[in-house]
Order: sequence, then C-alpha cells, then structure tokens
Amino acid sequence: MTAREEELRSGLGRYLSARWNAATTVEAVSRIPGGASRETWKCQAAIGDTWRGLIVRIDPETSLIDTDRATEYRAIEAAFNAGLPAPEPLFLEHELEWLGRPFSITTEVTGCQSSPDGIPEAHRERLGRRKWQLLGQIARLDPVALGLGEVMPATSVEACALEQVDYWAGVIADDEMHPSPVAEAAVRWLRRHPPPPAQKLSLVHGDYRTGNYLYTPDGDIKAILDWEMAHIGDPLEDLAWSMDPLWSWPNCDLAGRLLPHGEAIASWEQASGLKADPEALRWWQVFASVKGIGIWISSSEDFHNGASKDPILAMAGWLVGDRQEQILVDYLSPHSTHRFYRVTP
Amino acid sequence: MIPKGAAGIDHLATRMVTGLLPKAADAYMAADIGLLAGLVRLVAQDFDRAAEVLMSDIEAAAAIFREAAPHVDDEVLKRRMADAAASRPPGLRIETLNAHADVAVRVLIDLHAAVEEARDAGAGWAPALDRTLWAFLDAYVAKRAYDSAF
Repeated sequence: MTAREEELRSGLGRYLSARWNAATTVEAVSRIPGGASRETWKCQAAIGDTWRGLIVRIDPETSLIDTDRATEYRAIEAAFNAGLPAPEPLFLEHELEWLGRPFSITTEVTGCQSSPDGIPEAHRERLGRRKWQLLGQIARLDPVALGLGEVMPATSVEACALEQVDYWAGVIADDEMHPSPVAEAAVRWLRRHPPPPAQKLSLVHGDYRTGNYLYTPDGDIKAILDWEMAHIGDPLEDLAWSMDPLWSWPNCDLAGRLLPHGEAIASWEQASGLKADPEALRWWQVFASVKGIGIWISSSEDFHNGASKDPILAMAGWLVGDRQEQILVDYLSPHSTHRFYRVTP
Repeated sequence: MIPKGAAGIDHLATRMVTGLLPKAADAYMAADIGLLAGLVRLVAQDFDRAAEVLMSDIEAAAAIFREAAPHVDDEVLKRRMADAAASRPPGLRIETLNAHADVAVRVLIDLHAAVEEARDAGAGWAPALDRTLWAFLDAYVAKRAYDSAF
C-alpha cells in the first residue's frame, strides 16, 4: 500500500466512523484511472462484517474542468432521487480535516465498465437506445423543481444558448497559450447565427458521452457519471454533445460508437417528448466543439502552469484539442467535405 | 542532437509500451504509462515538423495580409498587417517561431472578423477573402493533425 493509499484508508475510516456513528474499517483503497476533473478512488468499507463498495471523489490540486463540487453532488442527488441510474450519493464534505481536500462519497456500482472499447457488439443497439432514452429522461427533468436552482445559475429559454457561448469563449480567452483562430471563427459564427429559444429549460448533464456511464455486458446502463458540468439550459446541448464525433473517433458513422445518428435522435425525441430541429441541433453541435476546445485548452494550460502534471491533462490538451479543431473546420469551412457533419434525423 | 530524432523518440514510446506497461503495479499506473507513451509519440511527430508548421503559418498569413491590404479601412489593423507581413522571425528556435507565429495569427483573427463584417455588409471583395482565410484555417488544422491510435 502506498503512503497516499494508507493516508486515505485512515482518513476515510475516521470520517465514516464519525458519520455513521459506528467503528468503520476501510480497505482496498485504489485509484481509478481516467478521471480528469477530480481524483477518483474506490474502497471497501465495513461496519462489523458488512462490507460496502464506495467511490470517493477528491478535489484535485488542479483539474481539467474548474467545477463546484456542490453542483456535481446535488445533480447526482437529483438524478438519483428522480429514479435515473446514478450512484447513490452518501456524503459531501467540504472540510479539510479528513482527507486534506474536500470530497464526496457515493456507492460503488459493480459489475459494469465504462470503456468505449468494451462495448459488446451483440448489445450495441440496445445500449445505444438506452443511452439516448436516458438522456431524453434527463431532458424531461425540471431542475428548479428538483431544487437545483439553489446551486445552478438561473437562465432563460432565450438567453441560455449565448450565455454558454460567452462562458466558453471566456474560458478560451483566459486559458489559451497560443491564439485559437479556429475557435474564434466558430465563436463568431455562433454569435451571428443564434438558435431559436429552447423548447424548455431542463437539467443539462454537461458531459453526457460514451465513457461517462457504466454499462453491463448485456447492454444496460446502471449509472450515469461525471455530473460536474451540470447546469440549467437547453436540452439540445446534451444531445449535440453526446453525438460529437470525438466520442466515436475515428469512425464517425455511429454516434458514440453505438447508433446511427438518426436513430439516436429518434430515441431521444421519443423519451424527451421534444423535437430536435436540425438547424438548432447543428448550432448546438458547433457549440459542442467550441466547448470542447475550451475544455482542452484549459487542460493544457493546467498541465503547463498548474500543480498537476497528470498526463491525461496533456493528452486532452494536445491530441483531443487537435481533433476538436478538425471537427470544427469540417463543420464550418466552405471547403469542407463534411466528413463529420451528420445531423439529419 | 538525437540521431533521426522523430524515429528515436518513437522508439522510446514503443519501449514504454512493450517494456514498462506489462510491469505496471496497478491499473492506474498502467493507464499512466499508456498515456505517457501516447504523448511521447506526439512529441516525435512535432519534433520533425514543428519548424515547418510554424514557418508556413507565418508565410501564409503574410501572403493573406498583402492580398487583403487594399480592402482594409481600419488603419490600425492595416498597420499591424503590414508589420506582420514585413517582419521575419529573429531565429529558428521553436520558441522564437512560436512567438512570431502567435503575433501573425492574432492579426489574422482580427482580419477574419473584419472580413466577415464586410461580407455581411455586402462588400463584393469579402467572400473571396473569407474563403482564403478559411483555406488558411483548413491548412492550419491539417498540418497539425497527429497520427495516433488513442
């Protein structure tokens, strides 16, 4: 066991004992690879002979996405309480005395994987339909009724789209280490061609994509993860992000490596009760790539100037950012052959 | 100098995957080694092409500035374009080329915004220049594309 693992084992044992009012043993502490926004660890905790798998998300020294842990935790809580597959939220802790940094704890969802490389071909279509049906169910949620208005900025159906553009254009301007001519051209395009008002305001997951849900070998989804960018907005934002060509690179015939784009949209429309207007969806697809570039630029800036030298930050900033620019040029250049542009339902 | 630099660096990545990855103590370390090997392969590609990529940015932007100059009314932008088109990098180190290319690309971004405004206002010359600027962006992205299995 490393010194860090021992530190967490001890700190979590003290914390859980205090919260559960019973002596709690913590074992099998190990870090889960892939998490870029927070350190993600799993462990086993026991009161007496009863063991329980837990996931601990710890604020990093630096991260790919600057997010508020309360927003993420409350979004998971809202989704879980609404009956969506999400890890059961247990604790949100802001104090530093236990692990040295703030953290949250959820139950572990077992028997699943998240890697897009493991998608079972025999169950690919079932998994795809389930993925976009669940996204449609998220689109049905009223975030204010769920209490999320307390932790998420208010917006309107008219303003939510361009507010998002302003936010991510600001991230790019703040964090870029070199000028971003493609992203800037795309931001100008988004502002010149605003979409129609949202059909409704809903809970937007913010990072709904292959890799951010746990699925079983037979193609069921047991948990939707990574809610740190959740906010109130246009549900088309999630639909567009979920179909970004990055998530099926390099073969972009299937959205998220799962379904033809038209079938993904149809599943979402059926579950959400909303329509995916092709022009509005196109706008959100361009936006998705601008947002992506904002995230990748931030991760690169964190890698170069921040405390963490986690290679996933460099991979996001160097390789993924490069691909995202290829997608944007494909969307917008007058010379494009539109290799990636497939939104027609 | 590293002999056959790009290939030499790529060999290091291969060694990480074949020699170190199988000996990783846990899944997290294995993922880290895989990512590091992938990043080293990107470094190998940039080692070979970085100077050419940046010099071609600088030269292509200068050509656009000369083409656009007769149409630009904004005197400040016009001066920045002329300065960028006339200046040469003071050296060939990548850091120097990067700094020089950054200045040129910043001017090009402002020119592109001005051309779009002129196009939307109906200026007859603007659509062709807008296409030229997009051709620059097409090439800008294409020459930076990495070959990667990730």
